[in-house]
Amino acid sequence: MITDNFIENTKSVADLKIGDTAKIISVGDDCIDIHCHCLRLMELGFTPGQEVTVVAKSPFKDPVAVSVRGTIIALRKNEAECIKIN
Amino acid sequence: MVLNAEKKDTGTNTLNNISKENNLPVIALIGMPNSGKTTLFNSLTGSNFKTSNYPGATVEYSVGKLISRYGFDAYIMDSPGIISLNPGSPDEDVTIDGLFHHPKFGLPDVVIVTCDVTQLSRQLYLVKQVIETGFKTIIALTMNDLLAKKDLEVSTEKLSDLLKTPVFKINSKSREGLSEAISRTESMLQDDSIADYKSRIHKLPLPSEDEVAKMYEYTESAEKHVLEHKTNKLDLDEINRKSFHSLSRTPDKSSLKLDKIFLHPIWGIFIFFISMGIIFTSIFWIAQPLMDLIDAGFSNLSSLVSDSLPPDTWYSSLITNGMINGFGSVMIFVPQIVILFILLGLLEDTGYLARAAMLIDKPLSKFGLNGRSFIPMLSGYACAIPAMMAARTISNRRERFLTIMIIPLMSCSARLPVYAMLLAFVVPPDKPWVAGLGLGALYLFSIIAGAVTAGIISKFKKTEEKSTFMLELPPYRAPVFRHVFKNTYYKALVYVKQAGPIIIVFSLVLWALTYFPNVDPVLPESRTSGLDEDQVSMLIESERLNTSFAATVGKYVFEPVLAPLGWDWRIGVSLISAFAAREIFVSAMAITFNITESEDDEDNFRHSILTSMREARSPDGTKPLFTTASTIALIIYFMFAMQCLSTVAVARKETGSWKIPLLQIGLYTVMAYVLAFVTYRGLNLLGIQ
Repeated sequence: MITDNFIENTKSVADLKIGDTAKIISVGDDCIDIHCHCLRLMELGFTPGQEVTVVAKSPFKDPVAVSVRGTIIALRKNEAECIKIN
Repeated sequence: MVLNAEKKDTGTNTLNNISKENNLPVIALIGMPNSGKTTLFNSLTGSNFKTSNYPGATVEYSVGKLISRYGFDAYIMDSPGIISLNPGSPDEDVTIDGLFHHPKFGLPDVVIVTCDVTQLSRQLYLVKQVIETGFKTIIALTMNDLLAKKDLEVSTEKLSDLLKTPVFKINSKSREGLSEAISRTESMLQDDSIADYKSRIHKLPLPSEDEVAKMYEYTESAEKHVLEHKTNKLDLDEINRKSFHSLSRTPDKSSLKLDKIFLHPIWGIFIFFISMGIIFTSIFWIAQPLMDLIDAGFSNLSSLVSDSLPPDTWYSSLITNGMINGFGSVMIFVPQIVILFILLGLLEDTGYLARAAMLIDKPLSKFGLNGRSFIPMLSGYACAIPAMMAARTISNRRERFLTIMIIPLMSCSARLPVYAMLLAFVVPPDKPWVAGLGLGALYLFSIIAGAVTAGIISKFKKTEEKSTFMLELPPYRAPVFRHVFKNTYYKALVYVKQAGPIIIVFSLVLWALTYFPNVDPVLPESRTSGLDEDQVSMLIESERLNTSFAATVGKYVFEPVLAPLGWDWRIGVSLISAFAAREIFVSAMAITFNITESEDDEDNFRHSILTSMREARSPDGTKPLFTTASTIALIIYFMFAMQCLSTVAVARKETGSWKIPLLQIGLYTVMAYVLAFVTYRGLNLLGIQ
């Protein structure tokens, strides 16, 4: 329940539209899954404070292409959901 | 496993003696994916390199000798790109492990880290990690020309001071900066001032998320410190005021523009299907004349050899039908492999392959696959051999194995002649369009079967590795044709050397099964009278096969098993023969059913094989052997059965163990049998005999 509310109130990269830019506030703070790839997301450069821009989405709206730190990285929706933005 | 590892060791000529014993220093290249590492490797080693797998794993690394122009001998080792020194997948684990204790090279003497300056804050992360492990490190800055487009450059002095490590700007294509970097490497190799240098090297512990964030804070400040305006040397404060972030941390502008087209919801899909269409057309049709040429070459060689050997001897048949044909069935796949890998290489080099994978990822992920599974599966419709090799582009091991697992279900071109013959039997001659429709349905059905199988396997198999995508879309770039061709050449070479021997051994076993023990069959006068020499020799061949070990197996093992499907031992023998290649089923049927027409005369051949099929009686002689129901069951069997030894050999090679190929043989044979049975009995119940 708590997590549900949390997800509802927090936007993630998955919620951005093509062309939108936002600042990362946290990565994987509400991840319950211990196997999650949040550390890997951070190692890829998605660290709090970074600005990210959604460059493109696949025709199925998943994965999304996100620009970060001078490169573009395609993330599946469930991965993009781990990256919280303000 | 051990056997295979040894084979790989001896598999080359020039670099045979790669080992620590001959005391050549080892320089390892490390870098993130797309950081220009492999281009640097190619420029440093020229064409003198070999690609191997880490023992027991399917991760590839390349080792080459430094080209002579740099004046000293050293081995250069390239390995797959990594994000960090903390493994994110089993494959990355193997790669990183190889850096610290490579089974053949031990610890590298010097490490060169490639660092793409257009994404400095990201790439310094790995650079910093490598330095912290204690390696003697040299930083090679790449993509300086792209950074210059933003009117920025890196101050190598500042970066070198900051990291306390030599830093060089390089351009691998024009060789700028390479000799400086390499001569510094040489002096580093000679420098033994650090006592016990190698024992100081240690693996880093897995960082916490806070530590990663801290590290990135460091790389960001480093980035700000070392980046300078290229032309008018504005001071940093001013750059910062002009929105430093938007300047240094935006991707390549022209790539962003191109992505508006290539990743467009409509145009993107359109371009995707056009490019996939080109790939499919190339391996399906353009390869065909080349394959025919190889086929003709080997059968000419075969008849040339058999003419010069005593006729009708077992060793003449061993050499021609066993060895030459076996080698021919290795080489026949080379055109498709070469064409597919040139196209894949070009797509990868230009940066489109990653985008194509992204476009198609969603539907495939539903079945536990990955966007990168698409091209291997598509290639599977031409041939499973190049398709399984193409699965190497899938970085996630689980998804690669799953893709390899279902590739044999794709309706490959070798099934076409079989389907054509069987459909011609089932379909009324005045309605040929029904056969066309049937063929279309078979193709569609095979993709559904593959997807369902993948879905079921991924549901049941415990996840050792969570499915991830996280794929970098590199900037669009012009491909380097020389590297693509070189890479393709090595892929084909590795195929011939590693899968080739298994295919040849299988072919020889199959030859022996179908040739012995009745080597010299004697036919009664009554059967041969009035026939010409060719027809008699075909009858002899037929008699030999029908009394061979394969026929014995067919009669006593297969017949009881095949009876519930409405088939007899002759179909069993043809199925055994078709393990060499599916299309051989047609000629094997012709031999077992005593057809004396030559296959060269297509109309006559087809007519007489269809007539023989109609005349063939079931074992008890009461009813026809080939009925609509039993023939459709045969078609269904061919859709699923793992009827191809070459595929088994390549699956073994590509997955590094017998587990997957044996699972494929077991699972797909059972599936084929059960579904053929259900089809046959189901049709019988519906009143179709």
